[in-house]
Amino acid sequence: MSVLINKNTKVIVQGITGGMGRTHTALMKKYGTNIVGGVTPGKGGTEQDGVPVFDSVSEAVAKTGANCSVIFVPPYLCLDAALEAIDAGLPLISVITEGLPPQDAVKLHAAAKLKGTLVNGPNCPGIITPGECLIGIHPGSIYMPGRVGLISRSGTLTYEIGLGLKQSGIGISTAVGIGGDPIIGIDQIVSLDLFEKDKDTDLIILVGEIGGTAEEDAADYIKANIKKPVIGYIAGRTAPAGKRMGHAGAIISGNKGTAESKTKAFTNAGVKVAMTPSEIVELVKAHVPATV
Amino acid sequence: MRLREYEAKELFREAGIATPKGIVIKYAEEIFGVENFPCTLKTQVLTGGRGKAGGIKFANNADDAYQKAQDIFKLPIKGDLPVAILVEPKVVIKKEIYTAILIDRAYRGPIIMASSEGGVEIESSENIQIVPIPGGNYNPYLGRKMATKLGLSGKDVIKYGNIVNRLWDVYTKYDCDLCEINPLIVDGDDNFVALDGKIVINEDALDRQPRFDGMLGEHLTDLGEREFRGKMCGLNIVELEGNIGILCNGAGLTMATMDLVFHHGGKPSNFLDVGGGASKSHVARALDLVSSDKNVKVLLVNILGGITDCVEVANALKYYKETRPEANLVVRLVGNNEEAAQQIMNQAGIPMTNVLDEAVKKAVAVAA
Repeated sequence: MSVLINKNTKVIVQGITGGMGRTHTALMKKYGTNIVGGVTPGKGGTEQDGVPVFDSVSEAVAKTGANCSVIFVPPYLCLDAALEAIDAGLPLISVITEGLPPQDAVKLHAAAKLKGTLVNGPNCPGIITPGECLIGIHPGSIYMPGRVGLISRSGTLTYEIGLGLKQSGIGISTAVGIGGDPIIGIDQIVSLDLFEKDKDTDLIILVGEIGGTAEEDAADYIKANIKKPVIGYIAGRTAPAGKRMGHAGAIISGNKGTAESKTKAFTNAGVKVAMTPSEIVELVKAHVPATV
Repeated sequence: MRLREYEAKELFREAGIATPKGIVIKYAEEIFGVENFPCTLKTQVLTGGRGKAGGIKFANNADDAYQKAQDIFKLPIKGDLPVAILVEPKVVIKKEIYTAILIDRAYRGPIIMASSEGGVEIESSENIQIVPIPGGNYNPYLGRKMATKLGLSGKDVIKYGNIVNRLWDVYTKYDCDLCEINPLIVDGDDNFVALDGKIVINEDALDRQPRFDGMLGEHLTDLGEREFRGKMCGLNIVELEGNIGILCNGAGLTMATMDLVFHHGGKPSNFLDVGGGASKSHVARALDLVSSDKNVKVLLVNILGGITDCVEVANALKYYKETRPEANLVVRLVGNNEEAAQQIMNQAGIPMTNVLDEAVKKAVAVAA
């Protein structure tokens, strides 16, 4: 088992004929993801990388039985693509696109909420269940299968931790890259809840960063609802206030969103907080024997 | 991108929100074209707190106004000199209100935020009222709801509601992160008038807002030399005060690397996220940008190649080392195409590690 995606997930790629879409369709296929189709309006009937391309999401779903879409379309076309996927009834969509204007993000998440669609992202690396399914842009070889659940706002920092774990012989059940934007779909709390219920996850790593109050909210949730051990990390503890640190959401505004406040919230909730990425691996080792 | 007051008010007027009938002057001499006195002279800068800093003055006649305009043009506000002065007739103020529409993370969408104490910094107000706009789906009753919360009644509810309706139009039409009127006043004729305005356009949306084409460069404020140059060439850099130049890929990893430098006793000179899938020339530009600060003693490069090809990075580093043999480079390069990159680095004589902590400790030692 795992969360959100597994070997039975049937994936379509929206924007499959664009640069990002082509590159990552090939990589996802190589990893073993069951890519059943792609969507690029106007290119229906063609093939990309041996995958049939459709003009619309509903057609792709009808013909392939897809239950997940990963979206690689440019920012200003992204809302339309995501709304189409939501409308077609897909239960899970992953929006990799970076730079979606916030007002579009609001509309996207409002539509998803109405329909009960789970939206991963935007501005995220996607999700990977090692050995089974990869949606998005995670470098698959960096993770090994195992029993640690990984939740992270960052892409490359997630890879860093996945790699460190692998080098110590520790694998993960699923890594959920939730995304670096201020407004995201599947957040820390949704992911925590999924991992708590997953019988093949023993421990959860929560990688946060400065900005917003999502980590504080997650800490409250952990205290009340999560019984599995959680290890936390906050990136940006030395970031200056008022500066956007790469991610649209990584900014300390006034006195809100500081690493101190997040660390304190984690500690109060019984979450062990690592000060460096390598310390995360050490803390995991203390819980999990280095055999999987 | 933050607009100046006069630019914000232009958008307000187009949307039907009343503002005082002002004129914008770029030279003090233009003040002699003003007919209505007493008047208010307001410096047009991009920073807050201009009133306290002496950037807003009242004048009773043309000579008085001319003198004051000359003073204002010479007065920098937090380092920012005015591009213009907005001259407006002095108005009668019966009431001052704060009103804004902004996107709020906690509500996961836009909210109306208001206070019956206008004219002050909203952070210091104890009477902040909030009306969320559910799902970003605005309807006029929300503006009226806020009016009631502010204690308005009768016709004022309609008048205030109309202001919020129009503010919403501006907010959506121009992809704003913030549309603020502070203060929104009730004047001597009981009309609602925007006495000051602040609009922030979302930068990710600028490419679909042709009205603001080419305006970003002269609307950047509070940026260091490298930050300004980075912005102009699509590199995400934040200036810090240390001597270890940092170049990483991915915002989270870059922050973690910066934190790790501090953790091991060093001081980063900057945050620079070179982004995903960077080409040789993009990385080369980033190396130049980071090392353009004289204080940088060592460059710490930490790349975890997912979509980034380590060979592109290695080629940029090789070129950099050839052109600047004296530069100190500490390089950690892992992931996509790592082995080929290792060969290029060997040829170039640049030592490389695949352990992050080691790389950081080494950079700290070189910089000490």
